[in-house]
Amino acid sequence: MKQSRKVFALLLALCMVFALAACGQTAAQAPSAAPADSSGTQSSGTESAAPAEPKFLKMAVNFAYPSLDAHKDYYGWYTQIYGVTETLFRIDADMSVQPLLAKGSSVSEDGLTWTFELADACFSNGNPVTADMVARNFRRLVEVNGRYEDWAAFTFEAKDEKTLAITTPDVFPTMLVALTDPEFAVMDLDATTDFDNAPIATGPFVIKSFKPEGDVEVVRNDNYWNGKAKLDGATLFYMPDADSKLLAMQSGEIDCYTSVDAAAKAIYETDPSSYVLTVIPGTRMQFYVINKTRLSDSVCAAINLTVDCEAIAEYLKGTTSAAVGPFIASAPYGQVTKPAPDPAAAKALLEADGYTLNADGYYAKGGKVLELSICHYKSRQLPDLAVLMQEQLKNIGVKATLVVQEDPDAGYVATGDYDIALYCMIADTGGDPYYCIDALYRESGKWAKAGFPTDEIEALINKLQFETDIDQRAALANQIVQESIDMNAFGYVGLFNKVSVARPGVSGFSENIPFDFYGLTADTDIG
Amino acid sequence: MAGYIGRRLLHLVGIMIAVSFLTFLLMYLAPGDAAAKKLNAQGVAVSEEIIEKTRESMGLNRPFLVQYGDWALHALQGDLGNSYKDDFPVAGKLARGLRYTAILAVTSLALAFAVALPLAILTALHKDSLLDDITRLFSFAGNSLPNFLISVLLMYFLCVKAHLLPLTASESVKGLVMPCLALSIPICGRFIRQFRAEILEQLGRPYVSGSMLRGVKQRYILGNVLHNSSISILTIVGLSIGTLLGGSVVIETIFRWPGLGKLAMDAITNRDYPVIQGFVLFTSTVYVVINLLIDICYSWVDPRLRKPGGRS
Repeated sequence: MKQSRKVFALLLALCMVFALAACGQTAAQAPSAAPADSSGTQSSGTESAAPAEPKFLKMAVNFAYPSLDAHKDYYGWYTQIYGVTETLFRIDADMSVQPLLAKGSSVSEDGLTWTFELADACFSNGNPVTADMVARNFRRLVEVNGRYEDWAAFTFEAKDEKTLAITTPDVFPTMLVALTDPEFAVMDLDATTDFDNAPIATGPFVIKSFKPEGDVEVVRNDNYWNGKAKLDGATLFYMPDADSKLLAMQSGEIDCYTSVDAAAKAIYETDPSSYVLTVIPGTRMQFYVINKTRLSDSVCAAINLTVDCEAIAEYLKGTTSAAVGPFIASAPYGQVTKPAPDPAAAKALLEADGYTLNADGYYAKGGKVLELSICHYKSRQLPDLAVLMQEQLKNIGVKATLVVQEDPDAGYVATGDYDIALYCMIADTGGDPYYCIDALYRESGKWAKAGFPTDEIEALINKLQFETDIDQRAALANQIVQESIDMNAFGYVGLFNKVSVARPGVSGFSENIPFDFYGLTADTDIG
Repeated sequence: MAGYIGRRLLHLVGIMIAVSFLTFLLMYLAPGDAAAKKLNAQGVAVSEEIIEKTRESMGLNRPFLVQYGDWALHALQGDLGNSYKDDFPVAGKLARGLRYTAILAVTSLALAFAVALPLAILTALHKDSLLDDITRLFSFAGNSLPNFLISVLLMYFLCVKAHLLPLTASESVKGLVMPCLALSIPICGRFIRQFRAEILEQLGRPYVSGSMLRGVKQRYILGNVLHNSSISILTIVGLSIGTLLGGSVVIETIFRWPGLGKLAMDAITNRDYPVIQGFVLFTSTVYVVINLLIDICYSWVDPRLRKPGGRS
């Protein structure tokens, strides 16, 4: 029995330890304090009561990777969000391409050789950024990242200390846009000894601590070539769970984050004095493809006349904006139109095609009910979209069955076994329409099984591929997309909004740029 | 005993081969592949040609048996391969995940046990009292509430309202408290009910009433009751250890705790076969070893089981 008592005492002591550990955190929870480092201690920056309070931002991010090697996988997206790496060009809020590590560019008359003048930039260790180093970086990217395998045919050559030439086998009009990809980050390949944990790059911040697939702490790069960062540093907490981010914001543990979900957005909207919401149309598009090989023209047209994108966007509570085409309407290549939803016209089309309403209220022809399959997968609010489309179609008398698959690319996209296929993708990777058009409308593309591609469209896409005039590119893009709308082959439902929230005074964390791969900059500030 | 342990460990080899083969087969048959998942990770469309080349370079186009055989051959040599997703060694990923999962599992289990056992004894001794009613209500609620709800409630009250604990303190002692509480509450609820039922059953046995009639002190009776309940209690605790060491996806995601559960879930989502295989090998080993340890504990607790024919 004495032994039992000892065991109980030990167990109770364990409980006490937990209780004390819980209570011991109070002092560390002062909002807006400097970030905790990997060992859980406070950064030295905030310990002194200096007149100018050090500025440390605490931000939540949605992904975390095991490496900081910007050339590999998608890791460059996050090194750029952390403000550690930079590219030759970047995209501004107005979707225009702006020089960053490059001062300017020119292309040869035959369109095959691009020449870039580099800015007087330097790495965080003080070493200058040279054309040779940039060329070596690009060669390394091609070598280590399968997505850039096509670039193996390009040659990268340093003409002099600050002049880089890229020669392509074919005309490559989207060169500047391509170079805004975060993977084209420039690192000091000679000085970096640990690409996974401590890359030496050119951004306004340098890594202070990095936990693979965890939190990251950055501090100001005192050698930054393009001004002085307003922040002394930042901690980027990996928080994949939406509720955790909301509660961390409410408890004062983080200052800002992007990808706010609908539920959290509604809560922030009730307290505008504490939270500043920024909502801009993003580049991730929800759309559907109508299988023209299985459905008549009248049914295709009826579907597009029925789906009410505005109503869907309203239902999704501001997380998406209703779309007309795949691109933001303000872009020069986003100038397309589509008919307003008109259920009566949709019904008239079906009736003109010989469909009549049966006793159950569904359209049928020859005794066979018109029944459509809506294939989708569980991501990016597509299940909600599928249900809403099903409801809208039901309202005009069209029966729709929902089919959910785990992997659309290996499932319905590959087989073409659908009437309506829902999908979500990034439509605009960097201020040019070609990437999206190439992915959506090519005869050899993944959606070809739906029966849309025509020789005429293919010819237009080929023309767009090599067109160098920006206005002409926009006109071609508009023509192709308009054709996809007019032929009722595609339905562009919504563009995901980039919804960011911040405390008052926090600004410049790329909340106004629609792309997911921008974050901290030298201008990021906490007021 | 040594022979018995040897036989059980021999069974483990068969179990690991069967489980790894079945898992590999199921993953192979499931739609989608690691190459497409890896390249399209951020929603950027990649040409089919590049996906095909990547698939080729990853060896995914090889026949099923060749892929499995290749993996098994390396696994036998202690090489679990590299992750398809990020090319980092699987063993390192599992070791890191295991460290965090083990910390969380052990502390949660200890906490749950420390709370549940005294409460179960008290409520069994004072059956149908107010304490018993309150405890049963608590154990019922703890058992019924889903993990994510307990987690959110804990975060709301302890972090947002009381500012007692930090939400951002993952991978540290501070960060351990809340996931530990969130995991412990349902386990504790279950333990209380099961321990109480077992102790009540023992209290109803004739040897207890006989001892009481003979005037044996209550603490000695209680000691015997606990001793006789220990086999059931050991079984309950052992099964919980196995489950906990498999990781908890929900808790680990919400509290940013980098354990095995989230690692496994990410691997399944990304069709990361080497990581999935490594995880399966690990969990099957854990289950077999835990069961073996519990069996050994049985004979330690009840010497009668050591006799030949005692293990029936």
